Amino acid sequence: MNVLVWLGIILFILMRLIGGKKGTRSFLAIFLNFGVVLISILFLTTPKVNPIIFIVVACIVISCINLFYINEVNSKTITAFISTLVTIVILLLFIVIVAKKTMIQGFGEEEVEELSIFSLYIGVDFVKIAAAVMIMAAIGAITDTAIAISSPMSEIFLHHPTISRKELFTSGIRIGRDILGTSANTMFFAFFGGYLGLLLWFQVFSYSFGEIVNSKIFNAEMISILCAGIGISLVIPITSWVTAFILVKE
Amino acid sequence: MFYFLKRIVSKHTIILVVCFAASMWFVYHNHSFYERSIAKVIETKVEDSTETMDRYNNEDRLFTQGIIAEIKNGPQKGQTIHLTNQYSSSGAYDHEYKVGTELFVSIEKAGKITGKILDVKRDKYLLLVTWMFIFTLLIVGKRQGLFSIISLAVNALLLSYALDVYLHTSGISLLWICSISVIVFTVISLLLVNGFNEKTYAAIVATLLGTCISLLITYSVMWVTSEQGLRYEEMQFIARPYKMVFMAGLFIGSLGAVMDVAITMSSSLFELFEKNKNISVKALKTSGMEIGKDIMGTMTNVLFFAYVSGSIPMIILYLKNASPVGFTLSMNLSLELARALAGGIGIVLTIPIGLYVTLFFLYRMRAKA
Repeated sequence: MNVLVWLGIILFILMRLIGGKKGTRSFLAIFLNFGVVLISILFLTTPKVNPIIFIVVACIVISCINLFYINEVNSKTITAFISTLVTIVILLLFIVIVAKKTMIQGFGEEEVEELSIFSLYIGVDFVKIAAAVMIMAAIGAITDTAIAISSPMSEIFLHHPTISRKELFTSGIRIGRDILGTSANTMFFAFFGGYLGLLLWFQVFSYSFGEIVNSKIFNAEMISILCAGIGISLVIPITSWVTAFILVKE
Repeated sequence: MFYFLKRIVSKHTIILVVCFAASMWFVYHNHSFYERSIAKVIETKVEDSTETMDRYNNEDRLFTQGIIAEIKNGPQKGQTIHLTNQYSSSGAYDHEYKVGTELFVSIEKAGKITGKILDVKRDKYLLLVTWMFIFTLLIVGKRQGLFSIISLAVNALLLSYALDVYLHTSGISLLWICSISVIVFTVISLLLVNGFNEKTYAAIVATLLGTCISLLITYSVMWVTSEQGLRYEEMQFIARPYKMVFMAGLFIGSLGAVMDVAITMSSSLFELFEKNKNISVKALKTSGMEIGKDIMGTMTNVLFFAYVSGSIPMIILYLKNASPVGFTLSMNLSLELARALAGGIGIVLTIPIGLYVTLFFLYRMRAKA
């Protein structure tokens, strides 16, 4: 049998054993998300669709799956959902400008040799696709951080219903700071692992420092990591503020 | 006291702003440090544009751009160079250059200076985004933000050092190098994030156990199935035994997520214990499992999106070139999905491992006290 099928079955059994019903939902969520990614890809191949608008829609669906399907619809997930959307929109504005300026779209010279059998003039806007890819790389981490802040904030509000909006906001920020390091680490290592081959490539072909920091692929990778990091930090004050604003009525 | 604090903060801010300004100034004026010639675009003109249609009926538009640029370094510094650039409106492997863009060029001199465009000078943008990243992390995260920046920098340096050692030492396996690096990464990152305390030690042990076991599971699955369904052909930048590179990447890639789970488990269990020293083992176990259930879904999705999104441009290229969908997906996603699933196994396994390791540490502490 196929490696992927085996790994999938093992993951399902483990999730089911450890997480019970919620584990099953978590496992199915991966598949739903996979479906969303596939549909996104199909839409991105049609030149008439603006990738940026489409990716916002895809992000809304993905956050719904990650927040409302795995957990359930309640004040915690609703605030996390709103915060995720606000963060995505702000981050997207930044990423679109960055992708345009840095010219990191499409493929690098290291890849293009093996692509010679393909026609590269395919009529889709690779700059916007690059921006869409960057936001999609970070969406999982952003929803994760948002729920990790809004959930304990709701607990705090439950135990101290008289807390002021400002106090609740401050404790949200404090919680966020505690998880910032580990969330950022998760993304960093995921990227490092994915690009180990590239790093080896640079060393084997002894690229100079100047060549590495200007190369398209390295820039694309680094800017994705940095934008994901910026997204993870932005979601902290946004979630704290949104949650405090919604929960505390003044 | 307050005044004193304020002064320290502003002192750090000033140092940071000076660093920012100095490095930005440097990167805008570092042309003489490059061996390759650099030219700054001062004038562009679209000379020609044609509609194209490739053999799969994809419509695109090709442009030819005449560029006049000023050479910024080398013996011809200050002179103008004439360049031509071809770009398409899709821009998979070409760019439209605007006035102000700096380009690496090769200079050919025959009367009028002409040349070929090699690449874009991207270092200034990279530095600017890096600074924005640093500022956001510091403003939001303060001390913790600083620590995660340090942790990122140290880990990146360590990784490149480890790869250097690997390439210059014959007969050493990449997997061994990575195992050692993984231990160092775990210790450094968790200590930086959480400081020297029992919580961190428990998380370190849980992380190492979790990564090890998940790696063993993945390895045995690959061995049992003789790697059926993994398409290494499309693995990019293969300069070394690809299977080793893949396994090592899988190892390192899931590490961050596993650390995240381990530290969440250990700090929340310690927190529960601190709040009520007489809490029963059973209650701790139940709460630990509840916490684990809450994080496992979102954590596996973090990895899933981080891995899968990167192959989207390539999949679009395949599909637009009329490759069959099944073939395209298995070519471009099999390794990424394997990584995401293996990482997920690591995350889920770390929940009970983290739980029991933390309980062990808690009971050792209680026995001592």
